Amino acid sequence: MTVEKLGLPTAPVITRTFKDVVESYAFKKGMPGFRFTYVPHPITGVPAELCRKYLQGNDPVTGKPVLDEIIDAITRPLSAEDAKGGVIERPAPRLLAANTEENLQKLFQESGWTDGLPVILPTEARVKEMLKGTSHEPKEHVGRMQASFPHEAWTYNVEQVAVNAVMAGAKPEHLPVILALASIGTTSLSTSTTSFANMVVVNGPIRNEIKMNSGIGALGPFNHANAVIGRAWTLISLNLGASGSPGEIYMGSLGNNLNYNNVCMAENEEELPKGWEPLHVQKGFKPGESVVSTFLGWGITHPDQSFGRPFHEQIPFWLKFISPFSSATLILDPTIIKQLNDNEGFKSKEQLSEWIQKNSMITVGAWKNDYYAVQNFVHPYASQGREPTATWMKMPDDAMIPQFSSPGRINILSVGGGTNYFWKAADFGYGRSASIDKWR
Amino acid sequence: MKNKTCLLLAAMLTIFLFSGLLAAQEPKITVLNPLGQPPPIDKIPMAPRIGNLDGKTIYIVDIAFTDTHQLFTEMQKLLSEKYPKTKWEVRIKRGSYGDDDPKLWEEIKANGHAMIMGVGH
Repeated sequence: MTVEKLGLPTAPVITRTFKDVVESYAFKKGMPGFRFTYVPHPITGVPAELCRKYLQGNDPVTGKPVLDEIIDAITRPLSAEDAKGGVIERPAPRLLAANTEENLQKLFQESGWTDGLPVILPTEARVKEMLKGTSHEPKEHVGRMQASFPHEAWTYNVEQVAVNAVMAGAKPEHLPVILALASIGTTSLSTSTTSFANMVVVNGPIRNEIKMNSGIGALGPFNHANAVIGRAWTLISLNLGASGSPGEIYMGSLGNNLNYNNVCMAENEEELPKGWEPLHVQKGFKPGESVVSTFLGWGITHPDQSFGRPFHEQIPFWLKFISPFSSATLILDPTIIKQLNDNEGFKSKEQLSEWIQKNSMITVGAWKNDYYAVQNFVHPYASQGREPTATWMKMPDDAMIPQFSSPGRINILSVGGGTNYFWKAADFGYGRSASIDKWR
Repeated sequence: MKNKTCLLLAAMLTIFLFSGLLAAQEPKITVLNPLGQPPPIDKIPMAPRIGNLDGKTIYIVDIAFTDTHQLFTEMQKLLSEKYPKTKWEVRIKRGSYGDDDPKLWEEIKANGHAMIMGVGH
């Protein structure tokens, strides 16, 4: 569409699986008549002979010969509609038409406004009550969110966030956390075919004020605040961030059930040894501030580590499942942190991150050949001279390079109730943090 | 037997009317719209088409998705065979597939008449 804007006709060729995505995208970007030609899906890794066959065959959507359709796209004169500009307004009414509770639940489900579970219907009285949780005006702008670049971004105000908080089952005291989360503007439902997951970490005094769980079972379904804050982020992403509609916007092939709650937890700050700073302090906030932080990745695993070796020596082994394109987040039970601090010589999170980064190495051969995301997002820049990856591309396959490009890509969190020496390893990278106090 | 049937029908009718009455009496409620504000759409006029291909230069641009370049080399071969009076130039867009490449667009604007672009996945 960029080249169309420059005055040159363009024929986009897309695989058929992405038909709804690209047509919806073209409409929203103002070119509903953009002339797509479709080829079978996928093309990645398909041999040249088969590609040739696809091109000599018919468009699987329209049934017309592929090459003829491509030529038609750039030669056939425009219709009056395609040559026209103008603005299409998209008003969003504040209230829905009155209906029975049963019918409204059905409407919310069928419209894709829920996570598949029943919601609390956002009546005016419930939303008004929810808004008591913040001093901010209902019409105040909170943020903008998009399903991913380059999808369109939607905007939302305090009341619209409160509506989704009601739907999630939240209480007014949870609203400042949910508003801070919404203000970050990151969707929890990225369009990526890889099916991203997200994580929410809450730090500071509000954890205890709203009774979040950072101890036994912190990641389990046992706590109201943990449950509804995490759920609210996904409802906000669906409804305020235009991130739903599987097949049209959301393209995660398998999906990710961590999206239901976004691994929402509080950090167990009370159990951190002296020198081990809570996450929000690491990110520049004061210890007395309440802060919400987001992480992005795909999954969590449970390392079956041995008790016969120091924990820090075992961690690089268990992180081997993580792509060098990603980051690592270690969710450590306080018992392990105490062990690392008291008996293994690590006096801060940063010190441990540095040691792990230096001791997590992979071969150049693996880096070059074994990781899809590295091939897609790193190799193009490496081949254009970006360092250090340009140098790595020229090294022999058995040379060793760091699995994680910097210590900052290894995040450490204190979570859990100290019932045993266990931890979880996630391929989550740190996203952003936002002040909760600002939204009280 | 006939009486029993009549009684059964009467009972069923009563249940039907009663349940209909209950449904009709179910209160209606008003709720807020859960959706955010989508932006207005600025409709962009498409570029005028080129009519025919003779003597024209058409760029075939690979957006640089992993392991898909073979589609474009095959496309160039087939189009060159079918339309020999047209120049078919293949380029790989700079960066990863989501990145912009203004220099390439400048080149196409300066030397080309149209563009074919693809693909993903």
